[in-house]
Amino acid sequence: MTCPFLEYRSEANNRQFDEPRAYCGAAEQFVQPMRADICNNRYDLAHDEHCEIYLEHADEVSAGNENGNETENTGQSAGDGA
Amino acid sequence: MSYENYLAGEPVIITAALTGGVQGKEATPHLPETPEEIGKAAAEAEEAGASVVHVHARKDNGERTFATERFQEIDDEIRRQADDVIIQHSTGGTGASDEDRHLPLRTDPAPEMASLDMGPMNRYDHLTSENTRGLVDSLHEEMVERGIKPELEIFNDGHMNETYGLLERRDLAEPVYGTLIFGPGTLTPPKPRNFINAIDNLPEGAQFNTLGFGRHQLPFVTMGILFGGHVRVGLEDNIYYERGELATSNAQLVERVARIADELGREVATPSQARDILNL
Ligand code: SF4
Repeated sequence: MTCPFLEYRSEANNRQFDEPRAYCGAAEQFVQPMRADICNNRYDLAHDEHCEIYLEHADEVSAGNENGNETENTGQSAGDGA
Repeated sequence: MSYENYLAGEPVIITAALTGGVQGKEATPHLPETPEEIGKAAAEAEEAGASVVHVHARKDNGERTFATERFQEIDDEIRRQADDVIIQHSTGGTGASDEDRHLPLRTDPAPEMASLDMGPMNRYDHLTSENTRGLVDSLHEEMVERGIKPELEIFNDGHMNETYGLLERRDLAEPVYGTLIFGPGTLTPPKPRNFINAIDNLPEGAQFNTLGFGRHQLPFVTMGILFGGHVRVGLEDNIYYERGELATSNAQLVERVARIADELGREVATPSQARDILNL
């Protein structure tokens, strides 16, 4: 399950990208590709274990959101395929 | 290697670390991510004086991938656009499985070189890239099988001990080639005395490469040139050309270090000379 703060955006903070990129709704900024793997719980990574931003904002997440009912997260949560 | 090697005017190998595995276009629009962009960056870096390109693979949205197929696409583009540059794949991969870490070694042909991280490194606040001895040994084994030269990434003095440990466990082809890395966090503190100390600690006959993160890139590669070593620059390690001014390309960073080497009297190695020096 991906982080409830994760979104994929093509545009934010005066930046535009051809491909939607991982955007953190808690930090309100695009995230580094390495961190995006944490947001997506890829490999051996987990947002609720490895992301200090999530851990700081965890109390803002409702139980429903943390169970994957979020509406803002537009996806691309599949594994890396590597 | 030492100041005497500098005085002897031996050629300096410039490695361009084009992309990296941490930041992406959210940090700088100039960082190449797609195979086409990486191929173009490699060609420009070679033109500017790089004889080696250090390669990480990304998906179209900039996120990391370790898939052999993506490395193959990137290599094909580099070979299409560049002339003769040596391809060095990263085997780094924080959080990735040991199996995934082997995948970059399996392109056809294999890369001439690949990185080999010598031990753990902390990332963010709750994550460590472990790089166990077991993984180091298995990556080295596959590199030997596939004729790939390992570039030992020595993040700190403890990793120098790990380098000697690897030399006890395995036969490494000569010359041993290690990259001394300076910067924040788990890396060796970027102080000149630590640089001299690291050189003194290198195994007999080793060739060294010098890597400084961020604003330490320029002074540390200059020291690398002066102490007879080789150097690595590129947007993976530093996205700025000057304070507050983004570098416009990897080639811009390569051009500057090539100019400094030239001014200091060291020839910039061609890919062919680099192959001779590293015994590829
Ligand atoms: S894992 Fe961290 S960086 Fe990623 S979306 Fe969640 S809070 Fe933001």
